Amino acid sequence: MNIVSVENLNLTYEEKGNKNHILKDISFEVEKGEILGIVGLSGAGKTSLLRTLNLLHKPDNGKIIFEQEDITKLNEKTVIPIRKKIGVVFQHFNLFRNKNVYNNIAFPLLLEKIDKEEIKKRVEKIADEIGLTERLNAYPSQLSGGEQQRVGIARSIITNPDLILLDEPTSALDPMITKIILDLVLDISIKRGLTIITVTHDMDVVKRICDKVAYLKKGTLSFFGETHEFFASLTTKEVSEFENEFLTDFEKIKKRESDEKKFIRVVFWGANTHESVIWDTAKDMDINVNILYGKIEELKKGPFGSLILEISGKQSMNFIKNLKEKVYYLEVI
Amino acid sequence: MVEQLLKATGETFYMVFFSGFLSLLFGLPLGVLLYITSRSEGKKKIYFVLDTLVNIFRSIPFIILVLLLIPLTKVLIGTIIGSNAAIFNLTIAAIPFMARLAENSFNTLPSGIIDSARSLGTTNWQFISKVLIPETLPDQISNFSVMLINLVTYTAIAGAVGAGGLGQLAINYGYYRFQWDVVLYCVIILVLISQLIQFAGKKISTNLRK
Ligand SMILES: Nc1ncnc2c1ncn2[C@@H]1O[C@H](COP(=O)(O)OP(=O)(O)OP(=O)(O)O)[C@@H](O)[C@H]1O
Ligand SMILES: [Mg+2]
Repeated sequence: MNIVSVENLNLTYEEKGNKNHILKDISFEVEKGEILGIVGLSGAGKTSLLRTLNLLHKPDNGKIIFEQEDITKLNEKTVIPIRKKIGVVFQHFNLFRNKNVYNNIAFPLLLEKIDKEEIKKRVEKIADEIGLTERLNAYPSQLSGGEQQRVGIARSIITNPDLILLDEPTSALDPMITKIILDLVLDISIKRGLTIITVTHDMDVVKRICDKVAYLKKGTLSFFGETHEFFASLTTKEVSEFENEFLTDFEKIKKRESDEKKFIRVVFWGANTHESVIWDTAKDMDINVNILYGKIEELKKGPFGSLILEISGKQSMNFIKNLKEKVYYLEVI
Repeated sequence: MVEQLLKATGETFYMVFFSGFLSLLFGLPLGVLLYITSRSEGKKKIYFVLDTLVNIFRSIPFIILVLLLIPLTKVLIGTIIGSNAAIFNLTIAAIPFMARLAENSFNTLPSGIIDSARSLGTTNWQFISKVLIPETLPDQISNFSVMLINLVTYTAIAGAVGAGGLGQLAINYGYYRFQWDVVLYCVIILVLISQLIQFAGKKISTNLRK
């Protein structure tokens, strides 16, 4: 069942009389319990899209159906019950400066008529899970970026929302804390059936936790679908935009180009994710195969392999044709 | 002489305290109202009216305001001299001042914090009481002390028209009887009071700033 569906969403910002079309005809849907990653280059409109989802910014037109209700029809007052069901972690954290960590995390509970003891129990539990027990009395200005981010995360999930919106939730965290936070987020999403929409630059985050990906390119949704399809669908150029390691390797590879040689990018997915497919295909053919780049990664839903091969020899075209049938995706670079 | 100084100091404190309290009581909500109406599309007209009124009241010199208020003071307080009449005048003069200072501080609240509050589902009232005021509290304390110091100087002016207090003492003895030592004492006490308010305000506000 869909928890959110977005239909033909358009958003413009007006700046000194100029209209900037930021989101163009965006449509996608997210099922309950799913994790959707929103990716795209800086300025693509990721934050803007996230902000429309709880109506912090009203779109010009289009629908946002949240739990069967079109929330674009609501106003600042009638949207309040909806907002209480949607947790948000902002790109710049936006903690309350004059409240300590405890009161920042407890804030959404303090808006309701909840017993003080109950609030204390819940804040302490979540502070423990997220490693902030010792910092409960500190104020935001006394926290590191990563600590502030964790307070933001704790504040967004303490009310047991149905959906959380995360804007670059791991941008200020080191790899170890990132892992802890992602595990926590995954754990909550599984245990409570929490749905998550997260903006991220970090492809590792996408690989580890996202079921689906929405790829924004200058305000249009250039891809929406399963995570492995996303990685397979990227052109080689796009992969290099997202992954540094790949970019350096790819630049080295391009220097080797010549007429006799062909370069192909091959993607494996799921059960047949192993290199032997290549050697089986190459067997008995008069060709040379060289692996220039290769990586097999664990996506949330299974292994995903990506290789760049250098091929030379008379039967190159034949080889490519045969291989194409056996792998998930193949592109001649 | 010492006795008179003490009595006058007491009267000044009395006037500053009550007019300060009343100005805060009415000025801060007016400031909130200015802030809220300036930000909601449908309420721009209300803002325009309030804003204009505040500007008008703030541009009338205090002594003129006292004169203009005479009929109203007479009806409401029963007399136009004495400390209570002065408190009324001082309060009317200070409310728009306090409201404008408060509004200016509210306007410094970062938009990210407003986003946070909105996304957590605060009602208007919860936003005001749990976010807007607590988040600008250190600034509001400094505003309040600035206003109190203003009130101290205003009490001295009000003294010229029979409000009592240190201002009146200074005028009676200095201006009419040329006893400059009394004037000097009055001035010293007034300066001390202002310094004290300034010091306390700064101290509290710094302690609250996190
Ligand atoms: N309040 C605003 N008024 C006018 N223009 C805005 C506003 N907010 C964002 N923009 C513009 O909209 C575009 C998209 O911004 P947005 O913040 O959504 O990008 P983003 O994809 O989140 O980028 P980043 O990865 O850098 O966070 C940018 O060109 C930005 O300058
Ligand atoms: Mg952003």
